[in-house]
Amino acid sequence: MATSAALPNSEARNHFANVARFIPGVLLLAVIGFAGKVLEQSINGYAKAHHLVIPNVEYVLWAIAIGLLIANTVTIPRIFLPGIATYEFWLKAGIVLLGARFVVADVLKLGGISIALVVLEISGSLILMTLLGRLFNLKPKLTSLLAVGSAVCGVSAIIAAKGAIDADDEDSSFAIAAILALGAIALVTFPLIGHALHMSDNAYGLWSGLAVDNTAEATAAGALYSDVAGKVAVLAKTTRNATIGFVVLGYAIYWASRGQAEKVKNKGAFLWNRFPKFVLGFLVISLLVSVHVFNKEQVGALANLSRWAFLLTFAGVGLRTNFREMSKQGVRPFIVGAVGEVLIAGLTLGLVVAANAIWKL
Amino acid sequence: MSEENKIATEATRLGLSLDVWAVITAFLLALLVRVGVLKHVPW
Repeated sequence: MATSAALPNSEARNHFANVARFIPGVLLLAVIGFAGKVLEQSINGYAKAHHLVIPNVEYVLWAIAIGLLIANTVTIPRIFLPGIATYEFWLKAGIVLLGARFVVADVLKLGGISIALVVLEISGSLILMTLLGRLFNLKPKLTSLLAVGSAVCGVSAIIAAKGAIDADDEDSSFAIAAILALGAIALVTFPLIGHALHMSDNAYGLWSGLAVDNTAEATAAGALYSDVAGKVAVLAKTTRNATIGFVVLGYAIYWASRGQAEKVKNKGAFLWNRFPKFVLGFLVISLLVSVHVFNKEQVGALANLSRWAFLLTFAGVGLRTNFREMSKQGVRPFIVGAVGEVLIAGLTLGLVVAANAIWKL
Repeated sequence: MSEENKIATEATRLGLSLDVWAVITAFLLALLVRVGVLKHVPW
């Protein structure tokens, strides 16, 4: 009796301990994100009170910068690590809730344009990265990982492809480090280029969603430009993410045909397992808002919940970017990634400019 | 294994992927907003 009564208690304790270990890191994300918001408001308030003209530095940049500063100057205690790693969970929950800011008509219009551009972007990126990998004599599977990472959705795509093509851990670490380092650079360069070219919010958002590889960085790069650019960036990036299964399946079949990966037995299950479910969640919320399941105040509340989720994500982007660790991965994959990303950024910028001329984004 | 991978693996062990947990959390929050438990979310 005593044993059977003790078991549920011990299970409950384990469950509580499992959840509790995330709390310090999530609190750290919240504190950093909130500090970013307070800094933006305080500096703007100070400038206004003293009639100073200071460029507005968004909370997004502050949150990332504080995170970067911490990650690259001190060793983050282990107790915070599980909670910090939840930033991707908050990103996905935030994207689903962001559906509240799109009625279905917006999704169809911008999403339709995104699909057309995404097809061109993915084809161009895969070809470019494959050629560059050969030119720089990278290992073929590392080239495949870099191609998938830069064409589709950064780290998630690399992890999905790694399993499907039986790539080495070392190759995937190289590819992930290159994609993350380049994402960090995009956070600084993209808004500057966007402002220099006087891009509209929609055009810039579409560009960052198409060109920046990792979803968190694409979201941040968009939000750094403007709120509208941020939401358009998420839509374009989400469209890219939706193709992950098809691209990874293509590579799995290619490597299996060369006898260097397992054969894909059930293609339907393969595609469904790799399909990012948060894309469906985003569409469901958008549909519910379009048929007025939520009133105006409720839509505002959902949009704000999405902003809070992204705030935690942006703090996490800074905290997990450790340049010292990245530099240990070697320079060649980084050079291939950098050259490829510059070319992809140019290609996608051309696509967005052309789309803007046709559809007036 | 990185912390991100550990969390993804752990989420999958509970029967659902991290993606699905994120969707469930977002839907629950939306439900709380819809039924009026979360009336005003400041920003």
